[in-house]
Amino acid sequence: MRNPMNLVGGLFGAGFGFVLAAARLHEYDTIHETLKLESPYVFGLMGLAIGISLPLLWILERRQVATVYGGRLALSRSKIERHHIVGGVLFGAGWSIAGTCPAPALAMLSSGATYGAVAVVGLFVGLWLRDRQVAAGTGGASIGDGEHRDLQTTPAGSA
Amino acid sequence: MNILPDQLPFWIAGPLLGLLVVGLFVVANQPLGASGAYMQTMKAVRRDTDTVGWRVWYFGGIFVGGALATILGPGIEIRRGYDSMTAAGWSPTFIALVVLAGAIVMGYGARMAGGCTSGHGICGTAQRSPASWATTATFMATAVAVTGVLTLLTGGDL
Repeated sequence: MRNPMNLVGGLFGAGFGFVLAAARLHEYDTIHETLKLESPYVFGLMGLAIGISLPLLWILERRQVATVYGGRLALSRSKIERHHIVGGVLFGAGWSIAGTCPAPALAMLSSGATYGAVAVVGLFVGLWLRDRQVAAGTGGASIGDGEHRDLQTTPAGSA
Repeated sequence: MNILPDQLPFWIAGPLLGLLVVGLFVVANQPLGASGAYMQTMKAVRRDTDTVGWRVWYFGGIFVGGALATILGPGIEIRRGYDSMTAAGWSPTFIALVVLAGAIVMGYGARMAGGCTSGHGICGTAQRSPASWATTATFMATAVAVTGVLTLLTGGDL
């Protein structure tokens, strides 16, 4: 393989999708039972995921660990801005109505639920609509947070 | 194949997810998000030159991993999904429209906030980013409130 990061990406994506489907997070009922506060499942899952990764990342950051393909480990922290709150309100409303979120929607589709395709298409449309505004300079910046930063150059084979 | 239980307990799935988050940071210094992978996949389709290629593989990986867990669990069954909405007496067209509308709002919000349930909700909070904690608290509270309204409006059907 020319770029080992592709394999890494594929494997981590597969692990992620596997856990989501095994936890049935791609089912409307799993999400809604938590959002109706009838089951602690999703909150417990997220809480434990954070509970494990936050201290480990903190330690790794303090030790200035060198990552395999991405240079020295660097966590990113952003200040709270208006777009986080407004975006969070919109995301939360959509999450509740569609009963799924971006990664579980893919697992929903691959589990055989055809409405998963509707959710995936809708997500693409929504992301694209906002991205157009950002590109046109009317939407303000929304890159630079935990998620939307990306490895620009991958030193292929230089591990 | 029913090798996997119906649903992994959250105290197993949660830590597994946490370890995947740490793993991707250790290997690639990158967050285990999802909406960013949608963006890169869109760029790949448009043949943009600045596409981050591995995120497209990652996007495909989520799909394949979901299928794999389903095969090892209840098995892949072609169905519509959203049984609760069908049980509430909604027509297939109406359900599709509701899901589509919800997903568009969700995608728009994710791009605006710079992340979703995984990017902000798990990876950003684990990086101790104030913006991620604020976004996560906001979308959690909003989702609980909107779900309460949905339950009221549908007379408890949803």
